[in-house]
Amino acid sequence: MLDSILAGFVTYTKSLGFNFGFLTSVYERTIWIDGISMTLILIAVTIPVSLVGGGLLAAALTSGRKYLSVPARVFVELTRNTPTLVQLMCAFLVVNMLISKALGGAQYNPFSPFFWVVAVVGLHIAAFHAEALRAGIESVPSATLEAARAIGFNRLQILWFVEFPLALRAALPAIVNNLVNLAKLTTVGSAIAVGEVTYASIMIWSQRDNVIELMIVILLLFSLINLLIARTGRWLENKLKVPGLGI
Amino acid sequence: MTESKREERAILVKMEDVHLAFGQTQVLKGIDLEVRKGDAVSIIGPSGSGKSTILRCINGLVTPQRGSITVGQTAVHELKSEAERIPLRKRIGIVFQQYNLFPHLSVLENIVIAPVRIQGVGRPEAERHARELLARVRLSDKEHAYPGELSGGQQQRVAIARALAMRPELVLFDEVTSALDPETVGEVLAVIRELVADGLTSILVTHEMRFAEEISDEVLFTEGGRIVERGSPASLFHNSSNPRIHSFINGLGSGAKTRESAL
Repeated sequence: MLDSILAGFVTYTKSLGFNFGFLTSVYERTIWIDGISMTLILIAVTIPVSLVGGGLLAAALTSGRKYLSVPARVFVELTRNTPTLVQLMCAFLVVNMLISKALGGAQYNPFSPFFWVVAVVGLHIAAFHAEALRAGIESVPSATLEAARAIGFNRLQILWFVEFPLALRAALPAIVNNLVNLAKLTTVGSAIAVGEVTYASIMIWSQRDNVIELMIVILLLFSLINLLIARTGRWLENKLKVPGLGI
Repeated sequence: MTESKREERAILVKMEDVHLAFGQTQVLKGIDLEVRKGDAVSIIGPSGSGKSTILRCINGLVTPQRGSITVGQTAVHELKSEAERIPLRKRIGIVFQQYNLFPHLSVLENIVIAPVRIQGVGRPEAERHARELLARVRLSDKEHAYPGELSGGQQQRVAIARALAMRPELVLFDEVTSALDPETVGEVLAVIRELVADGLTSILVTHEMRFAEEISDEVLFTEGGRIVERGSPASLFHNSSNPRIHSFINGLGSGAKTRESAL
């Protein structure tokens, strides 16, 4: 059933001048499908990592405590200002290697290439989230904070119940932009052999010479994913909209 | 408060020789005051004379450099960190000139957030109390509205309900009608008048002279960081020998009258 549908699709697209012949090879098809699901998994795992990381970094940046804000600021500047691909190479080829060495061999190292992509891309985007949230937190009027202090909230409660909810609303459009970027950035995983969709496609097109066909699919895939992310962002913006609040 | 003799009631707030400076600016230059349980004490005086700062000293929002402040058994001047001031603030409600409601929370949430999150009151109980308070400030129909949808007077009444939600021993009112238009001043003052009549201990910084005269047990006149005169409303408003107080009260008099007519 599936085979005949695929064969029909391959024949039809061939008549249009496209070479999707790899779909009839179970081996290549599996690599490719796995690549697509790996991309989706990467994005699904990295988004929460980036959001939690961004929240913590923003909290540290605005804490008013030097021992928290200075390291957070250094991290944000370093991460924002250097290429993600280089960071990934550095993490995987240098940090990962040092960890392997310290543990007495790569077989004892619990960190996989997948882990490093999630960590590097997640924290890279977290730095951007942090800046967006920081701006939002700093825009909360001091009078509102004074009211929160006067009620008896401690520093963390003020952050959690007053600053974050207001900052999130102000920062949401910027955060959604960052998430769109995050989805695209997961393709750097191909540089360290994480089998996401670009890596899988490269493996296939280097054998079959069907770059254009696979490119089209990759571009459509990311367009679709990011359309979904942007739509979800808009939905959330509307959901969080507070009547009479000018954000 | 007329039920019991004022002198017989326990002292709730006592400030002695409180000095406070913001940088080079001396704001308070030796403030002494006493507020007894059930008192309504009004602080009047020109802008910049330190009225609001006195209130902020009492709940530890600002820390004086010198002097002592006690609230009940708590020595406020000995509290060294924000964390140590939290138990104090739970006991004192404050209502601000600009309302300062949480703009992302509905009216009901603004009122229940402190009891639920800080005192650990159960949600149903907190909501029941919040609805009671909303009825008291005559906003029962607004529990689902957001602050941005309310008029200034309505927001200020929510702020009063929020301050009362913690069942405070003392409520500080910091020029609560100064940001309101004359028509809505009356509705807020009416609420405060009722609370004072019910025996709420309160300190009010206000420019509403008639109102201060009507509800206060004692009125303090501040100028230049000092309390220059204090006494019963009658003595301060009508029998003061201080020409400065005369001119201040009379200068505001015409405005106070038009506002009074809105009541």
